[in-house]
Amino acid sequence: MKYQIVIAGFGGQGVVFLVKVLALCAGNRDLKFLGTENHGMSQRGGAVSCDIKIGDFSNPVIDRGQADLLIGLDANEALRNLQLLKEGGHVVSNAQDPFPEGLPFQVHTIDANAQALAGEFPIQGLNVFMLGVTLATVPDFPFSIEEIETALRQINAKVADQNIEVLHHALADAREMGE
Amino acid sequence: MKETLMGNDAIAWGLIHADVEMVSGYPGTPSSEILGMVQKIKSKLKLPVYAEWATNEKVGFEVAYAGAIAGKRTAATMKQVGLNVASDALMSAAYIGNRGGFLLIAADDPGFHSSQTEQDSRVFAKFARIPVLDPSTPQDAYDMTRYGVELSERFETPVMLRPVMRVCHAREIIEMEDATDFHPKEGKFVRNIPRWAAVPRDGRLQQGYEALDRIEAIAAYNWAEHLKPRFDALEGKSDVLILASGTGYAFTREAMEELEVEADLVKVEMPYPLPVEEIRKRFEAYEKVLVVEEPYPCIEEQVMDPAKVHGRLDKTMNRIDEMKKEHILEAFKKLGLYEGKNIYAPKLTFSIDVPPRPPALCPGCPHRDIYYAIMKVFKKSKSIYPSDIGCYTLALAQGAIDTILCMGASVSMASGLSLADPSKTVVATIGDGTFFHSGIPPLINAVYQGHRFILVILDNSTIAMTGRQVTPERFNQTLDIGRIVEGMGIKCYEHTYSHEMHKNIDFFKGIKKIFESEEHQGPLVVRVRQFCILDNERKDDWVPGEYAVVDPELCVACDQCTTVYKCPPMAYNAEGKIEIDPFLCAGCGGCLEIVCPTDAFKLDEEKSGGKQ
Ligand SMILES: Cc1ncc(C[n+]2csc(CCOP(=O)(O)OP(=O)(O)O)c2C)c(N)n1
Ligand code: SF4
Ligand code: SF4
Repeated sequence: MKYQIVIAGFGGQGVVFLVKVLALCAGNRDLKFLGTENHGMSQRGGAVSCDIKIGDFSNPVIDRGQADLLIGLDANEALRNLQLLKEGGHVVSNAQDPFPEGLPFQVHTIDANAQALAGEFPIQGLNVFMLGVTLATVPDFPFSIEEIETALRQINAKVADQNIEVLHHALADAREMGE
Repeated sequence: MKETLMGNDAIAWGLIHADVEMVSGYPGTPSSEILGMVQKIKSKLKLPVYAEWATNEKVGFEVAYAGAIAGKRTAATMKQVGLNVASDALMSAAYIGNRGGFLLIAADDPGFHSSQTEQDSRVFAKFARIPVLDPSTPQDAYDMTRYGVELSERFETPVMLRPVMRVCHAREIIEMEDATDFHPKEGKFVRNIPRWAAVPRDGRLQQGYEALDRIEAIAAYNWAEHLKPRFDALEGKSDVLILASGTGYAFTREAMEELEVEADLVKVEMPYPLPVEEIRKRFEAYEKVLVVEEPYPCIEEQVMDPAKVHGRLDKTMNRIDEMKKEHILEAFKKLGLYEGKNIYAPKLTFSIDVPPRPPALCPGCPHRDIYYAIMKVFKKSKSIYPSDIGCYTLALAQGAIDTILCMGASVSMASGLSLADPSKTVVATIGDGTFFHSGIPPLINAVYQGHRFILVILDNSTIAMTGRQVTPERFNQTLDIGRIVEGMGIKCYEHTYSHEMHKNIDFFKGIKKIFESEEHQGPLVVRVRQFCILDNERKDDWVPGEYAVVDPELCVACDQCTTVYKCPPMAYNAEGKIEIDPFLCAGCGGCLEIVCPTDAFKLDEEKSGGKQ
């Protein structure tokens, strides 16, 4: 299997946490994993994106037109990285406004910020929330809900229950959205 | 044992598994996590390891190098520009050599992601005449760390490990040894004055001859151990031979697979010293040779043959900036290896306007407020603002910085600027980390020569930009910046950051008066005590938890807050009024006073818990 994922957001949103979760998932299934981070000089609030390559790759960088999936924790950061997607690839993004029409990709957007503002989940869980939305909307996503849950427990047992709750909240929301 | 590791963590484990017992370094992206991880392993496994941040790279290098002279296995870590600072020590150490293995880890940053230059440390190794290893993945980095320490001990020379950012900050599931037993060597300095204290001319000349023989022997070893087996295994798949090193190899392998290009590919693990004659002999079987490496043409210059060799020098590859597979595709096209379409072309045919997100200080960072106050008091038209390297460099966005050169240069440039343009007030800024690193000698210079400028030391008690490493003063309070300055015979004016902006402004008004008074001579030094909002140990003592909201009635869209103050949560909404992103606001309260000319920033009573 070969699968390339870009996760985009800004500093402080927990992009790297998701990379670690997916690395654990890959490791648990004995799949090869390569990842890298792109961020500039700012510690918080600057653009951050991570490239993840699962399967037989030798270099962690994802080139334009190659990614199977783009997860956007922020709409602008997702739009900024769209060029990395392959034709027909999936983009799953937190976004207030719909994405432009006519993109050669499969687009799934959800206003997660509004939900966090309404108190449905803590904003610190935005990363896990978007992972949940991804699980619900992307059929070829390489990992199952159970595999993600296992990884969430491995990475931090103390907050695993909260994270898994956010995950399921997102799954439910995204399924509703699909109906 | 299999483990998902970042390249820097893999290097740290490699050091431990090579029984390296002293690690000394200075933080710098992308190298910083190496020493941090050694410290973590040390405390987790309770190992008798020395792993400490030095005051700068030269000091770090020398501490570790001395350990290796005394027979221990040691390492020094730094980023590529840090090696400039350590280079004086390196050049001589390359002549003298070492007894215990000594690994110099210099991390490069092709693409200028977080560095002032794109310099190639492999070229530095060549300049110093020491061997250099170029890992292409975290796994390589782990293996080569261990190998490099052995190599150094075997040939009694410093060895450089040169990972690039895409190795340091890559994550991979790697295979490493389980063993956590540690076999440190006894440190025993054996007096050998002709060697350890060799002097010019005869002593060093003699060592120079030895160093030349050594590097020749290592080149031969490079051939026998690494390159010959690889050349021998080639199948003659095409008339183009590709030599690739580090990430260049990883990029090339993937590009060849994805483009279905067949060619002979040789991975060069040790880009210097190269057995040039042997390599050139192997070129005879090919019509063209392509060298893929980054960021400088290090291998290419060594094996150069203008009739055959292509790469960065003849622009077959990109000459600057990080390599992409697209560059390799282009090179394949130029050399006739590929004729297909550009699979790395974007799939989106129209462009989408996305507002840029330029680098910025964190929401609630006190650097922002201090710069705001400085600019209020020392007007731009009448001042020059030399600055330095650190988070505060990001105050560029506020227009609060005029010059940036390299660490420590703010102070010496303040001297030079004050001499060259006495009609302006020179207000220089430097972080506490940078002051300790290289700000002290230029301040002594300014005091003794009586240069007239103001130096503001932004003391947040951490080296924030590289991930919050400790500063000397944080570790040991006897190292007090104020007393260091006073030791130069001048006063150090103290201010404590306040989220009430008028207090910062009033302080600088007072400073201006003193500086302009008849009695004042020479440099005037200010130390501002402040904090870093990501510093969990200290921030709660400083952040008042005063969150801001904007009164839309009062906002007149004057742009003041988004140009000279610039806190990231502030942005225009659809109605053309400034709105504060509640998820980003850090509750520092800094914008509640003075920043807005119409006082539109109000305390969010509910979120701030009714605080006033
Ligand atoms: C010679 C050299 N070494 C290391 C670095 C990496 N580096 C960038 S900023 C910085 C220090 C910043 O610390 P400080 O001056 O305390 O400012 P802060 O980031 O805390 O505001 C370092 C070490 C560099 N740019 N140059
Ligand atoms: S990391 Fe600390 S010093 Fe750097 S910008 Fe953020 S708050 Fe300021
Ligand atoms: S209170 Fe104002 S200055 Fe402080 S973080 Fe919030 S918006 Fe920025």
